[in-house]
Amino acid sequence: MIDRLKSMINGVEADFIDIRYEIKSETKIGFTGREIKSVGSNRTDGYVIRVGKNGGFSSATVTKEEDVPRAVELALEGANTIVATGGKRSVLAEVPVVEKNIGLVLDGDPGEVSIDEKIELTRKYNDLMLQQPLIETTNLSYREIGRKKHYVNSEGTSVSEEIITTNISGEVVAKRDNLVQNIRLSIGGADGYSRLLKREDIFIKRAKIAEQLLDAEPVKGGTYNVILSPLLAGVFTHEAFGHFSEADIIEDNPSLRKKMALGKKLGSDVISIIADSTMSGQLGYYVYDDEGVAVKPVTLMDKGVLTGRLHSRRTAEAFGEPVSGHAVAEDMRYEPIVRMGTIYIKPGEKSLDELFAELGDGLYLIDGKGGQTSGENFTFGAQYGFKVKNGKKGAMIRDINIMGNLFTTLRNIEAVGNDLELSESGGCGKGQLNIKSALGGPHVLIRNMVVGGV
Amino acid sequence: MEKLLNLAAKVSDQAEIFSIRNDSSSLEMRNGKPTDMSASIQSGFALRILRDGRIGTAYTKNLLDREELVSNALNSLKGKVEAGFIFPGPSEIPPSWEPDGSISRMGYNDLHSRSGKVLDYLKGKAEGQIDIQSGREVIDIAIMNTRGLDVSRKSSFMYIYASLLFPNTETSVHKFFHSREAGDFPEKDLNELVDLYFSGLPEVDTPTGRMKVVFTPDTMYTLLWRLSTATSGTTFYNRISPLQNRREEKVLSEKFTLYGDPTEPEEVDQHFFDDEGVPAGKLVIFEKGILRNLILNLDYADKLKEQPTGTGYRGTMWGGDTVSLPPGPSLKSGRIAAGNTSFEDMVKSIDRGVIILGVLGAHSGNILNGDFSVGLNPGFYVENGKIIGRVKDGMVAGNVYDVLQKIESVENLQHFSLMGGRYPSILINDVSVAAK
Repeated sequence: MIDRLKSMINGVEADFIDIRYEIKSETKIGFTGREIKSVGSNRTDGYVIRVGKNGGFSSATVTKEEDVPRAVELALEGANTIVATGGKRSVLAEVPVVEKNIGLVLDGDPGEVSIDEKIELTRKYNDLMLQQPLIETTNLSYREIGRKKHYVNSEGTSVSEEIITTNISGEVVAKRDNLVQNIRLSIGGADGYSRLLKREDIFIKRAKIAEQLLDAEPVKGGTYNVILSPLLAGVFTHEAFGHFSEADIIEDNPSLRKKMALGKKLGSDVISIIADSTMSGQLGYYVYDDEGVAVKPVTLMDKGVLTGRLHSRRTAEAFGEPVSGHAVAEDMRYEPIVRMGTIYIKPGEKSLDELFAELGDGLYLIDGKGGQTSGENFTFGAQYGFKVKNGKKGAMIRDINIMGNLFTTLRNIEAVGNDLELSESGGCGKGQLNIKSALGGPHVLIRNMVVGGV
Repeated sequence: MEKLLNLAAKVSDQAEIFSIRNDSSSLEMRNGKPTDMSASIQSGFALRILRDGRIGTAYTKNLLDREELVSNALNSLKGKVEAGFIFPGPSEIPPSWEPDGSISRMGYNDLHSRSGKVLDYLKGKAEGQIDIQSGREVIDIAIMNTRGLDVSRKSSFMYIYASLLFPNTETSVHKFFHSREAGDFPEKDLNELVDLYFSGLPEVDTPTGRMKVVFTPDTMYTLLWRLSTATSGTTFYNRISPLQNRREEKVLSEKFTLYGDPTEPEEVDQHFFDDEGVPAGKLVIFEKGILRNLILNLDYADKLKEQPTGTGYRGTMWGGDTVSLPPGPSLKSGRIAAGNTSFEDMVKSIDRGVIILGVLGAHSGNILNGDFSVGLNPGFYVENGKIIGRVKDGMVAGNVYDVLQKIESVENLQHFSLMGGRYPSILINDVSVAAK
């Protein structure tokens, strides 16, 4: 395939051209309640072309091989128009030329497991939840997505890499009269099928939490001191801080670039944040990004000081900072953009008991329920939580959403726990959906968070 | 498509092919400069087969091997997914409007020229950073099935999204222009954008408490997401809707009427059949607060023993690859019936309250139960009928079945919403606002 791709871009009059061909495979099994709603294994493919010429840079994606010449034309037209209209000049940072073929390292190859076994595993977990007395229904899906990528550029780099992500995820719904409460759940990762086995406890536990939420109080809106659970701290890290560490987000906003200058003290002394997609076994794991650059761990924040940023080749050159290998696309429909892989808060030294004692009165908020950022403002939901009085966990609460300003919140982080948990499934939307987005951290104590309540 | 359908027909009781081709290009200008131009030509085919009361599905974007696609559908059939419905036969579907060739012909220079006009107009009128995105898209959809259905539609449109950032922030106000034919952003809308910018320029502290709240058209999806989930056939069939057993009951304010109608002439993506080939038309969900109809696809219409409503679409709130997604119940071209209050009079009637112009986190919270808790992005604070400034770190929370009982007034105009549909602004009494 690599030779075919090379022949497709040979002779194109440009300063730089690359092409990525990808075969995407997907196996999906879906249950709604006791009913199986979908089963299927499918495979599809497509091409992504990027061209740099005279400082202009543009891309085009096509499904069919016969459309590749048209894609090259469109990308050239885009690059030329950017130059002609005085648009942004793009230069790619220099990186080593490599020829690599990266295979799968899996604990249990899902490709060797029959569809019937996958159905039965998903059904077993689904039934465990439905057996709980107040559970009305479930939505549970097995999803296995494979990306086999072949990348070639005009500098001589060629990389082939295969990645498979498997997970079982969904929600469990409890109901009493007209009150409906749901809890999300997910298991999985990028390290093979074995991770999905013997996980019965999680499904039973999540179903019981959904049932308990029927008796929980809606949280009262206001400003609170809070402890975030590891996965919720991860949502904050990803949504509020992580996106701002993606160079393409702030690149064309001068005021934000100033605020996010490396060396600035933005957080309290206790907070350090790391992006590390090289950690094996994690959901965000990969070796080469979608422009043929090896991914590197980056310490984004060290004791409150901004120390690193996530880059594509283009943004690394524009910022004059090191390349990090974070240009990633959802699949063959998209050009790569700067993405987090695995991001987490570095654990500190305090136990959960010590954090509760330090909190005194406030809220303990657990597990993420989606988040969104707009510039420095963020919001994210918690799946459930508890009131805390005099350092003791009290009544369960529900309907929790938090809003804040990134910079204020980073300064308000008062203590960091000594534990660490990383998410097993992801789904970060930034124009494209990145399912290989892992996040997490330890428990974290933050002062003065705005909590919206009913 | 015919060859594929014939091949599938041989191994099934009924078969259906859905195909889509999408040709698009976009241009982004940030801080007044072209920063990105990209193009995409994507295709896809989805196959559904019915045999012995079961359904098998398969898809591919690149139809290289028809037999492989049919084989994947046959393998899917082994999953024993039950399907009691049948595919629709041929019906009288009026031809959709012919796409304007001007969209197909639009190149980057044209997009740049139209975006540049917006930039030039806004420059000097407001000091905030100007960001503009524009693009064009041409979509061809065709559906054939073995019951004789053979329908297709073409649609094409262009858009320009203009936003003004408040100084030293990423918070912005925006306006959106969307057209079936190549056109320029109306100056009237750009003037409104500048007015909005100056109204929200001061950042103000806002009290926490219960007050009046205006949901503007671009934020209406916060409420409609919850209502459409509750009225979806999926939710009803699974007995988890808060509106279960409340058909024909008044469950919301009589000032609230919600319907969908993709056949309306002003609809940019005007169409007359859904993604299952079922004729589409006006479907009233709430009429003066009374729950009238559910949103159904073929599958849930059959399960609930109701007639299909022409609202089976492939897609999710998060996009996704159309051919890879099965058709599910979805209300397209949503409309809230206009009321009789002008937006200016609505604002004048607020003693203390918030106008929500953008939200963060509409997807968070207990959507099934109707709960929402969203960040204001931005929200304008109003006192004694006047906008004072934009709210600093504010949230609005409530339950859709509670707040839509307390509608004070509905704007007398429908506006296109960035998230789809056309809605008026709605003023609601006594909603919880939390702010720092």
